Amino acid sequence: MDTTNTPGDEAIRSRADLLTALVLLALGLAVIYLSWTMPRLEARRINPATIPGLVPLVLGVLLTLCSALLAVRSWRIKAPGAWQGLAALLVTPEARRVLAVMALALFYTLILVGWLPFWAASMLFIFSFIVLFEVVLTDAPMPLLQSAVWALGIGVAGGTGIYLVFARVFLVRLP
Amino acid sequence: MFDGLLLLGQGIGHFLNPQSLFNVVWATLLGLVIGILPGLTATMGVALLVTLTYKMAPDQAILTLMCVYLGAIYGGSRTAILLNIPGTPANAAAALDGHPLALQGKAGLAMGLATTSSTLGTLVGIFFLAIIAPLLSEAALKFGSYEYFWLALFGVVISGQMSGSDTPLKGYIAGILGLLIAMIGMETLHAHQRFTFGIQALGGGIDLIPAMVGAFGFAEILSAMKRRAVAQIAAVNDRVVPTLGEVFRYWRTIIRSGLIGTFVGIIPGVGEDVGSWTSYAAAKRASKHPEEFGKGSQEGLIAAETGDNAVVSAAMIPTLTLALPGSAAAAVLIAAMYIHDIRPGPMLMVENPAFLYQVVAMLLLATLANFIFGLSLTKLFIKVLMVPRERLMAVIYVLCVVGSFAITQRMFDVYVMLCFGIVGFVLREMKYPMAPLVLGIILGDLLDLNLRRGLQLTNGDPSPFFTRPISAVLCLVIVITIIMSVPAVSRRAGAVLKRQMS
Repeated sequence: MDTTNTPGDEAIRSRADLLTALVLLALGLAVIYLSWTMPRLEARRINPATIPGLVPLVLGVLLTLCSALLAVRSWRIKAPGAWQGLAALLVTPEARRVLAVMALALFYTLILVGWLPFWAASMLFIFSFIVLFEVVLTDAPMPLLQSAVWALGIGVAGGTGIYLVFARVFLVRLP
Repeated sequence: MFDGLLLLGQGIGHFLNPQSLFNVVWATLLGLVIGILPGLTATMGVALLVTLTYKMAPDQAILTLMCVYLGAIYGGSRTAILLNIPGTPANAAAALDGHPLALQGKAGLAMGLATTSSTLGTLVGIFFLAIIAPLLSEAALKFGSYEYFWLALFGVVISGQMSGSDTPLKGYIAGILGLLIAMIGMETLHAHQRFTFGIQALGGGIDLIPAMVGAFGFAEILSAMKRRAVAQIAAVNDRVVPTLGEVFRYWRTIIRSGLIGTFVGIIPGVGEDVGSWTSYAAAKRASKHPEEFGKGSQEGLIAAETGDNAVVSAAMIPTLTLALPGSAAAAVLIAAMYIHDIRPGPMLMVENPAFLYQVVAMLLLATLANFIFGLSLTKLFIKVLMVPRERLMAVIYVLCVVGSFAITQRMFDVYVMLCFGIVGFVLREMKYPMAPLVLGIILGDLLDLNLRRGLQLTNGDPSPFFTRPISAVLCLVIVITIIMSVPAVSRRAGAVLKRQMS
């Protein structure tokens, strides 16, 4: 757990909080609008105190209030250079690693699964994931051949193992 | 009293057969491995395992999940001690003193103390589960819509207040987001579809398991893979089994932390990490050597580990009697119980009284297995720590996909998992806690249905929500909790309290 917070981190977080607060504020207002325009079911003689939009409306108001408070609180924190710091965070090696995981996960889930048999898609995903993170996106790259051999072994064992345990032993349908 | 003892005896006897014992062994070992591996949490482990227990008999399925849950919470202390990285968030307090002890060459002793205090903590929680749960269940039979509405709100508010690491405001926002997610789909009072935007798959709402697998599984993978540096493992050269004197020297700390952990576990949605930190803080305040805390205090380590494990068993009290999860992992257990046709809540003691004592028996067996494996397989577990995360996380992601898909066999649930993973990761990076979000998803329907049903019963008059005794108390507690979370108010209240005491 990271317990060390430099003043720079605090300043950057205040600006990131401001951004998220604005997104949440917009979401809160959208929820209020959608709840307000939700059918009141008058034709079914529904009591106005029990309409489907009641709780979402209250939640929308609460979300708007909380995010407005967060926005104001974040805006009041003096944070010189924090916007640049926030932008710089998006191009760090850490950000690249996160984006790579997301891209691989999305490619595997949205394209490979369904296009290939599940075990084959999983093998390919595991192999690419390991090689990418052991050889390319790392501070201490491993020799390609060594990593590829490990990746192939884990890919085959993982892909077929998961398929056999779930589909054959526990009779669970796989995608 | 004697009925309870008889049912407990029957519960233990029920699981004393080769199949159950086999399940206890493999599930506890798996739980320990999940806890030991940084980046994998107890909630993630339980959520992923639900799929694997899908075809099991209900009692065996819940036994397996319970062993994984308990094993993971305990196993996380290994990583905290050897790597200074808590295996699960619940072990963060244990890292404060456990790792300095390991650096002093006492890694074995630290792990031994963590094992025995975890076991004692769980036993305290189990004791109160067996005593309090039947009484609470009986009391809960008198609850109406009004009380259930406040209970649901209480769970989300308290969880938001206590788990908001940055500010309670973020905890509240996370809780509101969870409640809003629960509003998606067909509402149960008038069968009207809300926030579905014409998408048929959203009609049934967002399922808990894919949401949890995303928020605690995929988001954890993203967090673990974000890190570049790999921590060094401390060497283990000393003995692992502590002497009785080393453990019972701190009997006051053990009892205090066990009681604190039990109290935290009973509060819906608060969870193990709060139990661990609260016990740690209380032990530091009461200690004769508070200056040693954070520098390798055995007392600190014992307090943290007793506290978080007491939460695990105590979390079963609201889970079983009120169907309000005591922790995030307990929320998954509730979902698993529903999948296996076990309905937690006040009627459980009426419909299936033996089950409560079976849960007590499950926890006892899991604790015993943890204790034995924890003390005997130390060297083996250290090898688990050496598995590179690059090789592990790829396989875990495939399990996340399988876990999300298998229960309802819809690709839509896999997409839900992806969305919750990405949004969960972003929220986590911004220090929004996940527990209130998950609790909001679980309690949203309970809150919505009971508010509107209560209003329907009174033809729109809200007064019973404030005048019925239990409702009034819950309402007051919620109002005070919210007011106290305003920094200016809590500062002033703290100053007044200090003046009164001096």
